[in-house]
Amino acid sequence: MRLNRQKIAPYVFISPFFIVFAAFMVFPLGFSIFLSFHKWSGMGGIKTAQFAGLQHFSFLLFKDVYFWKTIGITIWLLIFGSFTQHLFAIPLAIVLNSKLIRGRDIFRTAYFLPVITSAVSVAIIFQNVFNMKYGLLNYITGIFGVAPVDWINWSWSIPIAIAIVINWRWIGWNTLIYLAGLQAIPNELYESADIDGASLITKHVNITIPMLLPIIFFAVTMSIIGGMQIFDEPFVLTQGYLWMGGANNAGFTAAFYILWSLQRAGKYGRGSAIAWLLFLLVLIMTFINRAITNYYKGDNRGIKRVTAKKDKAIDIGPQMNLH
Amino acid sequence: MKRLCLVLIIAFLAGTLFASGPQDVSKQEITLTMGVFGDLESAYTAVKDSDGFKQKFPKLTLQFQSSDFGGHHDRLVTQIAAGVGANDVEALEIGYIARFVREGGFTNLSADLFKGKQVGKDLVKFGMSNATTTDGKLVALPVDIAPAVFFYRKSVSDDLGVELTGIASWDEYIEKGKQLTIDKDGDGVIDQYALTNPNDVSMIPLNGGKGGWFQNNEPLEPAKRFKGVLELCKKIREAGIDANFPGWSGEWINSFKEGIVVTMFSGAWLGGHFKNWMCPDLAGDWRVDYCPGKVFASYGGSYIGIPEQTSAEKKPMAWEVTKYLCTNPDAQLITFKTTDAFPALVTVFDDPIMSEPVEYYGGQKVRLIFQDIGKNIPVQNVSEYDAIAVDIFNNAIKAVVDDGVPVDEAYKTAKTEIKNQM
Repeated sequence: MRLNRQKIAPYVFISPFFIVFAAFMVFPLGFSIFLSFHKWSGMGGIKTAQFAGLQHFSFLLFKDVYFWKTIGITIWLLIFGSFTQHLFAIPLAIVLNSKLIRGRDIFRTAYFLPVITSAVSVAIIFQNVFNMKYGLLNYITGIFGVAPVDWINWSWSIPIAIAIVINWRWIGWNTLIYLAGLQAIPNELYESADIDGASLITKHVNITIPMLLPIIFFAVTMSIIGGMQIFDEPFVLTQGYLWMGGANNAGFTAAFYILWSLQRAGKYGRGSAIAWLLFLLVLIMTFINRAITNYYKGDNRGIKRVTAKKDKAIDIGPQMNLH
Repeated sequence: MKRLCLVLIIAFLAGTLFASGPQDVSKQEITLTMGVFGDLESAYTAVKDSDGFKQKFPKLTLQFQSSDFGGHHDRLVTQIAAGVGANDVEALEIGYIARFVREGGFTNLSADLFKGKQVGKDLVKFGMSNATTTDGKLVALPVDIAPAVFFYRKSVSDDLGVELTGIASWDEYIEKGKQLTIDKDGDGVIDQYALTNPNDVSMIPLNGGKGGWFQNNEPLEPAKRFKGVLELCKKIREAGIDANFPGWSGEWINSFKEGIVVTMFSGAWLGGHFKNWMCPDLAGDWRVDYCPGKVFASYGGSYIGIPEQTSAEKKPMAWEVTKYLCTNPDAQLITFKTTDAFPALVTVFDDPIMSEPVEYYGGQKVRLIFQDIGKNIPVQNVSEYDAIAVDIFNNAIKAVVDDGVPVDEAYKTAKTEIKNQM
């Protein structure tokens, strides 16, 4: 009997995880796969779901007026809202990592604040910033003689406004990730580069960036996942479901389309199918990201090539194995 | 003798039981939850605190779960889909009724247990019609309706000498709007507008957007009606009489209080918001008139229904509460007085309260206007695709107003998109 108890005990202890995992991960995933092959309005119980085969997928890929449009908008925002964060975050992290900067903790906190601020609050604040008549942004651009722009109403400016908010909100997050990565780079590398007389730029190009490649891969992957699911900012900035992302659906992202399909159109099957197509797209992008990262870090090829091209004086030696 | 006594006692007890059967439900000690949105909580709290309600439901504990319009309906749709979590009684806006009518999720109130059609015989016809499925099931009862009216500031109208009563057409309104849109302090910047946004007008000629989006399954027909709305929005923007404030944004709300916007089209309920929190300081200055051309339209309205998932034990009491809120004259009038949510119960339309002057509107007998419009709101067919049509048409308005897309092109695109989503 005791033996049985001993056998069972570990399973009892780890069961909360499996129960939670099954209830909140496995079931919703399985249910959404089920729904993507069915027509269901969400009302009247699941018994009313009708099998639809691949109808939703073929409709979305070949007939739907919104699917590719929303994917295009999402990818645009991924490039100018999510990828651009890294162009700011890496230099910022390098500056914050510098011993010359005083009060680094204050800056770190300040950069991280937008991340922990709710998207709705952020969007409301930015609605005022982007206001055509009284907004801060038009005031600043007005100083340079630029005519006022209706940032959150004109179709060409809506994606720009959303991208600005996304950048503002998430640069701090990436900065902290890169900061953690920078602190793991051995200082000896920089010291040897100093002895060889390398300039600041050369050191960062030939040491910092190559050493950060795994972190960059991680951060970019997270950006792809987050960017392809972007919903809060466009939803709030363009006033919710009612306007479907504003003029010409300029802020109607793929995730927005999923939620609209469920909440407004009552098409749970179609919404689930969009989610799975989006998942496939994220998967493909992540593989591409990994291939690119591997190309640069594989066998130190990238580092050696960059080193050879830019600063032959630095010999980074065999310790630069980034795997 | 003993046997006779026993028979008499049994007969008496049985008689008492049967006689008081229907009343017993309302006397039960029970807790009910009710989901509400906007300012319905304050209205129903006032009803709950009334003597009539306490007398009718002495042991009932009624708890409200209140949230904003969008949050409430998103929650409700999700919980109905999940089959759990909804409140015992739920309020829903007219724009959502078609979906539940078509797809279910709410208890059929026309069943013998409730006899909802009989109970709702004095409720507005269009409200009952919209809540009834093609096979005769009644999913909810209309609790309030929203006659669409024109609000304007009397002092501004007087100061500028612009007569704002009896406006005969939208073109006339736009012309008068130009006179109201001014630079008050002479700094070269307009600081007083006639209107918040063209979108706030767009649904008035479409009976508030509550039904009528399809004709023989063809969306946005008759075309003239919908193109006319796009043209109207375009004209308003081109006339420069709107402040371009998005609906219910901070600036939209403040614009009334601060006198930046001086006229508005909406349901009668907006007056309740004005009075209670948006601009109580402007008491006595707001006035009400018919919409241009004396259009009779609905601009909102609420229903009360009982989700199917409500337990059988609670349904009878849930029904009693629903019935009370929708068909009890006192409850209807308390709701009206608290939030200006106009009664759905036709029998109170001629209540003396309707011809009383209302202090907030400078003593104007505004309720007579509400009453007249309420009596004449047209019945329009609702469809399960209404929400899709509303959103896509709104997007077309955005395209015309904000992006300058020609009306014909925007109309054609919207029609194609609605068909695509059906």
